[in-house]
Amino acid sequence: MGRSKQLEAAGVVIAVALLIFLPRVSSDYVVGIAITAFTFTVAAAALNLVYGYGGLLSFAQLAFWGIGGYCTALWVMDAGGSFWTGLALAAGLNAVLAIAVGWPALRLHRDSFVIVTLAFSLLTFLVARDWVGLTRGPLGLPGLPAPTLFGTKLASTQSIYYLSLAFLVASLGVLYAIVTSRIGRTLLALKQNQPLGLAHGVSPTPYKLFAFAVSAALTGMAGGIQVFYLKIVDPSILDFYYIQAWLIMVIIGGAGTFWGVVIAGLVMAALPEVLRFSNELRMVIYGAILVVAVLALPQGIAGWLRERRIARLRATIERA
Amino acid sequence: MIPLLSVTGLAKSYQGVRAVDGVSFEMHANEIVGIIGPNGSGKSTTVDCITGFQTADAGDVRMEGAPLQALAAWQIARAGLMRTFQTVRVYEQLTLEENLLAAMAQFDATNWLDALFRTPRLRAADSSARARARTLINMAGLTRYHDAPVGILSYGQKKLVALISALMPKPRLVILDEPVAGVNPTRIREIEAALRLLRDEGETFLIIEHNMDFIMNLCDRVIVFDQGRKLTEGTPAAVHADARVLEAYLGVRP
Repeated sequence: MGRSKQLEAAGVVIAVALLIFLPRVSSDYVVGIAITAFTFTVAAAALNLVYGYGGLLSFAQLAFWGIGGYCTALWVMDAGGSFWTGLALAAGLNAVLAIAVGWPALRLHRDSFVIVTLAFSLLTFLVARDWVGLTRGPLGLPGLPAPTLFGTKLASTQSIYYLSLAFLVASLGVLYAIVTSRIGRTLLALKQNQPLGLAHGVSPTPYKLFAFAVSAALTGMAGGIQVFYLKIVDPSILDFYYIQAWLIMVIIGGAGTFWGVVIAGLVMAALPEVLRFSNELRMVIYGAILVVAVLALPQGIAGWLRERRIARLRATIERA
Repeated sequence: MIPLLSVTGLAKSYQGVRAVDGVSFEMHANEIVGIIGPNGSGKSTTVDCITGFQTADAGDVRMEGAPLQALAAWQIARAGLMRTFQTVRVYEQLTLEENLLAAMAQFDATNWLDALFRTPRLRAADSSARARARTLINMAGLTRYHDAPVGILSYGQKKLVALISALMPKPRLVILDEPVAGVNPTRIREIEAALRLLRDEGETFLIIEHNMDFIMNLCDRVIVFDQGRKLTEGTPAAVHADARVLEAYLGVRP
């Protein structure tokens, strides 16, 4: 294990330990914000897999989030199933949908992929609002019950917090395993130079579909957890606010870098709440921070760090 | 004996312009064949049609007798035909080693599950790929850039990276599109020596190049293109002495 790997592992252990103790020292209000920060971070990291690594700007993440929420809620409320099988169903349904939407969309140009995924999210919103028989329309499904685990009701905010934390750690583990494998390297290679990838024998579609399906499944599960924390799912779960927040996290963190996006996700999700001290101005301040960040760090935080590392490396090589 | 590569009656037009107009030639294993010709004579289009990056309008391309036309570019690569590009192509943000490993990844017996779970089979394949990458990096004189992102290298160095990437999986045929354009003269001699050495080890090369000294010194056989057609073909000496070649290049009638 190299030194940077050791630092990485130590950082993860410390961060998880701190997060485990967080509910003991803070209010339900803070714990609630952390739950949303976790589900948002998973959604942002999943978007990073498709967009940052795969080079595919996908607006379908919003649809996957909403479908995950509705699927889990309907499974519990209408089919009488458990929350857990609902989550698994949401993951599976989203993966299938991602392949069904992605396969034809990937035959088009990269730009067209953006439009197709955008249309998919808009369409999903219409279904949620207008298919009243299935989704209850604009009223949605309120009063979602607390999930039960081994006979215990996860009724408190704290217990949902630990569920969300466990999901965060597991999801990031899966994503980390992918992006640090050959598969992640191949995705980055295709993003940087697809014709060269073809000349190296890479068939691009399976790689991109895989990334799209994994990100869809994880985003769907994050949506499922989110609606059971809110105890309601209605068409506002498909509001553009969500995808906008995740995109900001990916761009500020540095598209195509793993930890940059994770850290940006956790920080940016909490930031609007931190800024509540001046309620009228908070979104203005948030916007100002964003503008400054984009101007100062066009490649995101991780991109900025990478450039500094390259500059140092160049200097060392030139001296040698 | 079945030729390693046979091209018969290859044709490709763009909006009425016949870029490639009935080109035929053959290559045998262990040869170094050069393609020369003025700009716009159809050299790169021919390579693109052979390697599946463009679809030919007509003609037949076979490798060891097996037809290639119906295959996608990546399938042709996996069949053992690697290529480089006229405009240098590398993975700018990946390190030099990662560039070479990426070129090799589709050529070992590991699958996606091996990749995700880092099985012993994957680790074995990885360590032999790393060893091969190290050999090629040393051969190219790029040792100190081993862990540097390729984006920081010079144009000539990137050409070398593209070349050694194509060599990674020990392909049956390597097509090089202008491998020494923009590379300094000392380096060109080194590349020449290296390619000769690789040929002695069994590799086969088809090389498009404008640098006449390079082509004449290195190639066993030279094919001359002009206006989408094969003008002539022969040993470097014979081609050099051919009056038509001079005319095609310089527009002068002897």
